[in-house]
Amino acid sequence: MNRPVKNPSIVFAGLLFLGAMSLSAAEDRKERVLNDRQEVEASGNWIYNDLPGGFAEAARTGKPLMVVIRCIP
Amino acid sequence: MNKFVCVRLVQANALDLALFQFDYDLTFAVFLLNADKTIYGRFGSRSDRKDAAKDISMEGFRKALIAALDLHKRYPANKALLAGKQPLPTRFKTPEDFPSLAGKYKPTLDYEGKVVQSCMHCHQVRDAERRFFRDGKKPIPDEVLYPYPMPNAVGLALDPKEKAKVTSVASGSPAEKAGFKVGDEILLLEGQPILSIADVQWALHNAGEPATLNAQILRGRKRIKLALGLATEWRRQTDIAWRTTTWDLRRMVAGGMVLQDSTAEERRAVRLADDTLALRVNHVGEYGDHAVAKRAGFKKDDILVSVDGQTRHFAESELFRYLLQRKMPGEKIPVTVLRDGERMNLELLMQ
Repeated sequence: MNRPVKNPSIVFAGLLFLGAMSLSAAEDRKERVLNDRQEVEASGNWIYNDLPGGFAEAARTGKPLMVVIRCIP
Repeated sequence: MNKFVCVRLVQANALDLALFQFDYDLTFAVFLLNADKTIYGRFGSRSDRKDAAKDISMEGFRKALIAALDLHKRYPANKALLAGKQPLPTRFKTPEDFPSLAGKYKPTLDYEGKVVQSCMHCHQVRDAERRFFRDGKKPIPDEVLYPYPMPNAVGLALDPKEKAKVTSVASGSPAEKAGFKVGDEILLLEGQPILSIADVQWALHNAGEPATLNAQILRGRKRIKLALGLATEWRRQTDIAWRTTTWDLRRMVAGGMVLQDSTAEERRAVRLADDTLALRVNHVGEYGDHAVAKRAGFKKDDILVSVDGQTRHFAESELFRYLLQRKMPGEKIPVTVLRDGERMNLELLMQ
């Protein structure tokens, strides 16, 4: 037999809270992805997501390439 | 770092698979190469789900970089020496060429929209490669199931703080039979200069079955040649349970279950011998195709004691290989589980 929920407003608030937490985590992740390029390039050492640019720079300077394949955590 | 042109790639979208061939379960992989795309070496290894850094170190990375600079200094006079490090022909040039990934991703990330969802992960390349076989109802070959074996597959443990220095040699292993000893430094493997554990894995990944890999090691001040003999099916010693890509294998042949070999104590408690099948269900998937086992009646803590009539000892990786190479999607496999002391017969759908 299904029992009626005693306080539906608390359940609703809980669902909103969980939804907000999930949304917050998703937004955090999105923000990290969007900020990653800015942060990496600000360090001055990296060419970001531009392999042809990297090969061109290596050919120009005579330096070897270090290509790091690393997803945004 | 200033001696290199440093490029960071953050996605697998449109990755050139004709150039970047590596262990796609890694979340950190490095290629050291010339502007003409000649590869000097690889860096980045992993053998554990929780401790991703166990097999790498900054010290080892620094030594790999120094070795790469030395190769670069001598290039192109040493080009022939680097031949074995170069990528091999591949059927699929980019991940999007795999049938299971076709049309699902754009070459660049959608920074103006759903940027996270637009990103293809590296492990999806390996997933797609396995699906190519599975969806075509073909057995998944060992070299695709057990990619980039760690040196322990042949009985070697290497120090992550060095390029490729032996820290232990397993008794009775191919490495012991070849004559490897603790302290040996692997200089060349199959004629390739070794910069890292990843370079050893590259050589193992491309080794045949059976095969003999020629090694040159430094022992003290002496350079010694060793021949590492690999038997047929040598890759099957590899544990793939930690890999992200094993999740899709669990969907294919375990209905979404995560299985773990019972300990000696657990076996004694339920009176199962050490040489028999006793895989405990640690997790039952809840959603979609990962809930096939749940819908079939499997429960957490069930112990699989017979699968497809097989009652001999299997680790999870071994059972997956057995099923992936013998049982095709659509087949239903008889499974007997031990639950609360009682045996129950269930059926598991292959996907």
